[in-house]
Amino acid sequence: MEAIKNIYKYRELLKTNVKKEIRGKYKNSILGVLWSFLNPLLQIIVYAVVFQVILKNPKEHYVVFLCAGLIPWNFFSTSLSRGAFTFIENGNIIKKVYFPREIMPISIVTSEAINFMISTIIILGFAIGEGLGVSYYIVFYPIILIIQYIFTLGVTFIVSSISVYIRDLQHLIGVALQLLFYATPIVFASEAIPNSLRWIININPMAYIINAYRDIFYNQTMPDFTMLTLILIFSITLCIIGYMIFHKLQKGFAEEL
Amino acid sequence: MQLEKNDKIIVEHVYKSFNVYMDKANTIKEKLLFFKRNKKQKREILKDINLNIKEGEAVALIGVNGSGKSTLLKLMTKIIYPNKGKITTKGKLTSLLELGAGFHPDFSGRENIYFNASIFGLTKKEIDERLNKIIEFSELGSFIDNPVRTYSSGMYMRLAFSVAINVNAEILLIDEILSVGDQHFQEKCFKKMEELKNEGKTMVLVTHSMESVKQLCTRAIWLSDGQVRLDGPTDEVVSEYIKATT
Repeated sequence: MEAIKNIYKYRELLKTNVKKEIRGKYKNSILGVLWSFLNPLLQIIVYAVVFQVILKNPKEHYVVFLCAGLIPWNFFSTSLSRGAFTFIENGNIIKKVYFPREIMPISIVTSEAINFMISTIIILGFAIGEGLGVSYYIVFYPIILIIQYIFTLGVTFIVSSISVYIRDLQHLIGVALQLLFYATPIVFASEAIPNSLRWIININPMAYIINAYRDIFYNQTMPDFTMLTLILIFSITLCIIGYMIFHKLQKGFAEEL
Repeated sequence: MQLEKNDKIIVEHVYKSFNVYMDKANTIKEKLLFFKRNKKQKREILKDINLNIKEGEAVALIGVNGSGKSTLLKLMTKIIYPNKGKITTKGKLTSLLELGAGFHPDFSGRENIYFNASIFGLTKKEIDERLNKIIEFSELGSFIDNPVRTYSSGMYMRLAFSVAINVNAEILLIDEILSVGDQHFQEKCFKKMEELKNEGKTMVLVTHSMESVKQLCTRAIWLSDGQVRLDGPTDEVVSEYIKATT
């Protein structure tokens, strides 16, 4: 409770920080914030060329299928890889002034969530362009987004605070994310995985989240709400545990950095 | 100990020590390979400090280098935490430990006022109300809309000081910053601090300038080897301190 009150008190800092994260990232580039739109678009084109043109993936509307997986994944992976650096990057502020340290990971995840919402236009654009259209199941989008937000925040709390003490984590996180990328049905469907390896997908919370997005954008069916509820409960628990780990570790930040 | 009505800062049995690494190993590889490098020395900075600072007091922390003044100040702002003991503060607190924290060089002075002031916990509305006062105090004039990276170091410090002094905190923690800008601006800062003192703000000041201690503070605390050596009216403590160090 104390934590929430504190964050509310510092809401202006959170707001300016999120703004800084979004605008500052592209401050001196010519296209500016447009990059947060252009980046995933180009990425999708690369993957589409590799998997559809070269590897001849027969899936119908593969681009839409890919978008609905890749763009939510980017939200998760960018939050994490940037989160791992956040306290180290901001070391000189942390050593100098007091403010609730949780503001930093929260503003990273929030700014990435906003980026994600902007890039969702790409999914919709391809869905319409490919003639698949948009179904009314899209009303569930905010629910899935919130679940993913809580999950991502929980993981980011843990990664960001541990990486202050063990700097290896920053380098490890890149490889780990790449591994996780292929352990999540992003460029392929869950069904494409051989039964012997299916358990990897089954224990991967991101797989359920991605599949839920895919249900509303690509399959245009009702997402699996029993599963999503379980993921929500899991995410909240993870977020609380993550916060507790963070809270314990943050007391030493100024001395470690 | 219960916080009494006009108590602003209570320090109870505070101990703080730092691990001093001879050569710090930051990665697992280094930790395993060069475990000798991890030789650390525990250095006790503060030993059993007890203080009680009341509302409206202007307190100076004096002592030679390494006596733990700045560490005590950092503990009060909650940048670092004590190993043992407890520190309680009441009311909005601003530390002028390091100025310009959170400045983003690519953004304009005006935008940076918002960044910096929000670190002190101000809301947008509160910053809007103070914006003109801050800009006026900084004497930056039309430079305020230029990116901060184009500022000279004096201009940078002036802007930072103006933000910090105008956040309307009840407790001000100040670490050796009366060296901001040129003579004219220094005098202005000093006057502003006297003004704040007269308004009944609580101040804790770390400085080596005995002149400003005498002018600004009513109480002085002399730290020596991490312990309180003397605590009392400024004149007494300062003259004892000068006697002992010269």
